[in-house]
Amino acid sequence: MLATYLQVLVSGLAIGGVYALIALSFSITFTTTKTLNFAQGEFIGVGAFLGVTVLYLVSGEGSFAALAPAAAGGARYPLAAAVVGAVLGALGILLFLAAIRPFAGKPGMSWVMSTIGFGIILQSLGLAVWGPAPVNMPSPFGDDVMRLAGAGVRPQEILVLAVAVVLMAALDLLMRRTRLGKAMRAVAHNPQVAALMGINVAAVMLGAFALSSALAGVGGLLVAPIASASLFMGMGIALKAFSGAIMGGLDNPRGCIFGGFALGLLEAGVALWEAQWREIVIFLLIILVLAIRPNGLFGARALDKV
Amino acid sequence: MRHMRHALIATGIALAAALLVLAAGNDFHLRILFNICVYLLCAQGMNVLLGYAGQKSLGQAGLFAAGAYGAALLTTRWDLDPWLALILAVGIAGVCGVLIAAPSLRVRGPSLAMVTLAFGIVVEKLVTEAEPFGGAMGIYAIKPLTIWGEPLSMAQWVWLGIALCLVTQLLLANLLTGRHGRAFLSLQADEVAAGAVGVPVLRTKVLAFVIAAVTCGLAGALVAQQNQYINSDFITFHLSVFILLLVLFGGSGSLAGPLLGAVTLTVISALVARWTWIEHFVNGALLLFALYAMPKGLAGAIAGAAARLRRRPDRPQGAAPAASAAVALPVREGQPGEAPLLTAEGVCKSYGGVQPARDVAARLVPGHIHALIGPNGAGKSTFINMLSGIVRPDAGRIAFLGEDLSGAAVHAICGKGIARTFQNLRLFRELSVLDNVLLGQHARMRNGVLTSLLGLPAARREERKARQRVDAILAFLGLSHLAALPAGSLAYGLQRRVELARALATEPHLLLLDEPAAGLNPQETAELGGLLRRIRDQGITILLVEHHMDLVMAISDHVIVLDYGEKIAEGAPAAIQRDPRVMTAYLGTEPDAAPRAAGLPAAAGG
Amino acid sequence: MPSISDDITRRGFGRGTLAALLAAPAIARAQPREEIRLGFNGDLAASPSAQSGRAAVVGIRAAIEDLNREGGVLGRAFSLIVRDDLSQPPKSIQNMSDLIDNERVVAVLGPTNSGNALAWRHIPNQKRVPVMGCIGSATDITRPIRAGADNYMFRVGSVDRTQVIALMAYAKKNPRSGRIGFLTETTGYGQAGLRDLQEVAQAQGLTAAANERFNVNDTDMTSQLAKLRTAGVETALVWAQGTPIGQLMRSMDKIGYFPTVLTSWAADNLSFINAAGPTLAERPIFLRTVSEDRTPRQQAFFDRIRPQLDADSAYSFAVHGYDGTMLLARAMQQAGNTEGPAVRAALEDLQGRLDGYAKTYERPFTRDQHEALTAADQRWTCWRGGRLAAFDDAVVAGLRPEDFRG
Repeated sequence: MLATYLQVLVSGLAIGGVYALIALSFSITFTTTKTLNFAQGEFIGVGAFLGVTVLYLVSGEGSFAALAPAAAGGARYPLAAAVVGAVLGALGILLFLAAIRPFAGKPGMSWVMSTIGFGIILQSLGLAVWGPAPVNMPSPFGDDVMRLAGAGVRPQEILVLAVAVVLMAALDLLMRRTRLGKAMRAVAHNPQVAALMGINVAAVMLGAFALSSALAGVGGLLVAPIASASLFMGMGIALKAFSGAIMGGLDNPRGCIFGGFALGLLEAGVALWEAQWREIVIFLLIILVLAIRPNGLFGARALDKV
Repeated sequence: MRHMRHALIATGIALAAALLVLAAGNDFHLRILFNICVYLLCAQGMNVLLGYAGQKSLGQAGLFAAGAYGAALLTTRWDLDPWLALILAVGIAGVCGVLIAAPSLRVRGPSLAMVTLAFGIVVEKLVTEAEPFGGAMGIYAIKPLTIWGEPLSMAQWVWLGIALCLVTQLLLANLLTGRHGRAFLSLQADEVAAGAVGVPVLRTKVLAFVIAAVTCGLAGALVAQQNQYINSDFITFHLSVFILLLVLFGGSGSLAGPLLGAVTLTVISALVARWTWIEHFVNGALLLFALYAMPKGLAGAIAGAAARLRRRPDRPQGAAPAASAAVALPVREGQPGEAPLLTAEGVCKSYGGVQPARDVAARLVPGHIHALIGPNGAGKSTFINMLSGIVRPDAGRIAFLGEDLSGAAVHAICGKGIARTFQNLRLFRELSVLDNVLLGQHARMRNGVLTSLLGLPAARREERKARQRVDAILAFLGLSHLAALPAGSLAYGLQRRVELARALATEPHLLLLDEPAAGLNPQETAELGGLLRRIRDQGITILLVEHHMDLVMAISDHVIVLDYGEKIAEGAPAAIQRDPRVMTAYLGTEPDAAPRAAGLPAAAGG
Repeated sequence: MPSISDDITRRGFGRGTLAALLAAPAIARAQPREEIRLGFNGDLAASPSAQSGRAAVVGIRAAIEDLNREGGVLGRAFSLIVRDDLSQPPKSIQNMSDLIDNERVVAVLGPTNSGNALAWRHIPNQKRVPVMGCIGSATDITRPIRAGADNYMFRVGSVDRTQVIALMAYAKKNPRSGRIGFLTETTGYGQAGLRDLQEVAQAQGLTAAANERFNVNDTDMTSQLAKLRTAGVETALVWAQGTPIGQLMRSMDKIGYFPTVLTSWAADNLSFINAAGPTLAERPIFLRTVSEDRTPRQQAFFDRIRPQLDADSAYSFAVHGYDGTMLLARAMQQAGNTEGPAVRAALEDLQGRLDGYAKTYERPFTRDQHEALTAADQRWTCWRGGRLAAFDDAVVAGLRPEDFRG
């Protein structure tokens, strides 16, 4: 029985790491621009496929649809991560210019429509290039199950967790310790004042979208060996990550990370009881949390000064 | 009459569409028309919720499902008559609307999107997983609507759809062009201000959700009954997004928007279907660029083009008439007698370490101008907020006309006869001056939802009465010539005056003014003084918070001084000017030091 | 991406304002009146199963090419009109109406997703237009709307019920089966399969010790498997699509629990072995309609269309599409016209032999039997060394016709 619970913990933490990473990516754009990328799911899928493509091109092992395990070995996986980060970052900038900037700061939700539209176009292009079928991506550390006190763990799950934690810690440091981070927080707090202080607000917003999209792409690359890469894989992940972000408090990056992990663990935990009721339980809980704490568990209470 | 014109145009379009049914080439064209009707129904309700009440819902698929599965289960499992099932299904969807509204009441922005989205997903999963809904295998043999025992033909389905859309459109137009439409718009603009002018915020929000639920549920029930089959694949997040798009694309907040959105998007989807995967690109490009080209949707673009054609001058010509002294303000019956209008005893409030109210007591006498003064941070605004119900006191008792106010909602307090203005203007900026002030009349109007929906004579009578009163108020304040302009477009001083007009429109016994002279130039301030006296002369008691001591001393009958949340003095203006404690509070030094600095009370009065 | 829509034919739309409105961009191109128009309605780009839909279209096109080279049928050439339903039921319904009412096709092939066929099967039945299923395998698709009613839904393809009966017979016959358990996906495909599993189990006198479900996108089924293990299940019957079956095998690996696995034919999909990896992929036993030991004729067809397929394993859908089109053409020839009722009657009483790529058809349909491929056409299959292979063991060898009950 203990092994079962341990299994839940491991699975929950691994998928929770991905949720947390994507939740953080939502938080980054929300704090700086008060907008969200509703195409984040498509970005995740494109990131995964791009990673497969890079591995295929540099390794030449196996076919595109079924890469040999060795294809991800050596420095190839980090290289793929770098390429995915760079390309998706550029896509994020494109997204900002095409779909966000025309609407940022205006009332209404035009940016919801435009980012969804961007996502649909991106997915259609992806389908044209890669086709609809899911594709296998090998893990850099092989695929053999390791035993931890009776629970089975795959190397990729540990890698996902480790990379997610390292990335999030680095971003946390970046936000709190560096000039860039301070500039981002200043823009988040008040763009007008930040501009008066000599901060290039437009550049910070661009950077936020580049960073957020790069995180989504890397997130896709990380889950691909666990879930197999598919252009449709991102939707579910992005939805859960968004829920985690909202639950933790969109304007609080650390809260988002907590929300992501909490959701992953919760999901694994409910599955232990009745797997098919998982989503229902999770989303009912989210409704309950927000009804009691409208800004999330750790969100700043928006004081409406009268 | 705008209203009549809308009804005529809507009926004309419906008749034309009904004739189009006869001309349709084949069942496919009829199906397209039917789909347009279905999506139009969804969009009409969503427009109330999104375009008027400003609530962004991403869970409409859940309400569509409530109607669809309601009709399906009622006709298959309980074997009900299909027409009865249709009506009951719509009722079920309405109840679900209340369910989705309840947790949504306190949340805004992305959190509201999340709550509604979560609701949609819960319903989607429920119909996928729970046994009675048949999951992805669906429910067969749903009874179609019948007429004289025969199932409706495709053409009859379309006619039914057109009729339902027309009825919905006319009813909603009745509702939206009067009292309740303004209330929805006020929610979108500023919930705090909406409550303060007497709009019951929670009830109005629930109403908007229920309207959206009812039309969406109706659409779902129609689809289920027409197709005689429903499965969980019908209920997806995409449907929720699509319903949102219909409204945004067509023009949210416009009566014509839903129709334009439903027709355009349905026809485009049918047109590009033949080029298979191009369809995705077209959909994506539409979403990406449509609102860039047309920020207010199709309806906004068309209205803009029409306005440019007509080249109407933006602002009405003519000079501003002086405020009319001859006009009397509408006031509510039952003027208070000699007893104190409002008494506060032992009122306390603290935020963490800060205590803006410590055992404060006050008595307001009818027919007087009371002033509440004190240095910054003394707790003046908090006191006003507690009187108007926006902030709940931690302890103490506030009684108005002998009635305890504790626990009363903001709009209820307004309804009892306490009106207020705000330190930082809280006008409904997009709305016209007239609508702003009419919103003040909200709590004074008696037409209920049903009366307004059906456009009964009572509703029109109430609207006319409110209009007359508002005209009087505007004339009283010299704002008549600005009635049609958006409130946010006026100069600052005029905006302050509009807010005053809005407060007066609630026909209060007691008017709370939070720094009414802030930002006014000396001449405007002097005019304000005269205006406040005239308002008092109409029998309205005033409590004002103000830093302009000249003004305070000139017009007040009674002054209360707060410092660090405590009342340190009260009395006639002259007595307050001499009070040493007041001087200490203002200057932090002994009274003799610098009497004329910092707008010290002694400086005024003359 | 192979463009599916490049030679879609268009024509005028008839009368009415709406017609003019709809037809405006599609300038009427005069077509010879005689052309026989077939339609395809299915998912081509909106879900992972879209590759099956695309493969079927490739097969249908190949058949039309062959037919037209021979001069068509009744002296008329064939053409194909394709509609993508994005795997959404409302869209699929609209497409069906578009094809039948607007494009006036004489028969429709598809759809990709079984749920969509269930959503619109009343339309072809009302309009009396034959539909030839070639992808979706839900049992209910070819059931008549009412007992005794004319049924226009036919199929050349896998049928869940047929497979379930065979798999259940295997489970019953196998002395090492032990307790059986069900694992199904929560899609229409999985849940329809679950109902078949339950009904067939009852018919054969078996009871499931556990019945668990998972989501099509799940990557971790360890908790469901743990419950099966707790219930003492030694034979798991799995109904799901390729990728989740692969994930299921990985989860088995994780908790070290390996019951005998009997699955739906989706395990023949490349996505299954991609997800499971070559070693774990060797565990499940399943049934296919097309054998991996291709005859030279089958191999020639495979070589001809392979460049247009997304994956090797999609070949069977192309075969179904090809054979289905050929059967329709044969029925039209026999009927002497393309009227729906006549074609349906001809299909239900097809004379002569037709050499298809799945098998040789001899009177494939009757009034009550609308499945061209039946239990006898199923091939026991498994993966060996990264390739599909015929599966054979003592239990399979011992199965007799009377074992196939349900």
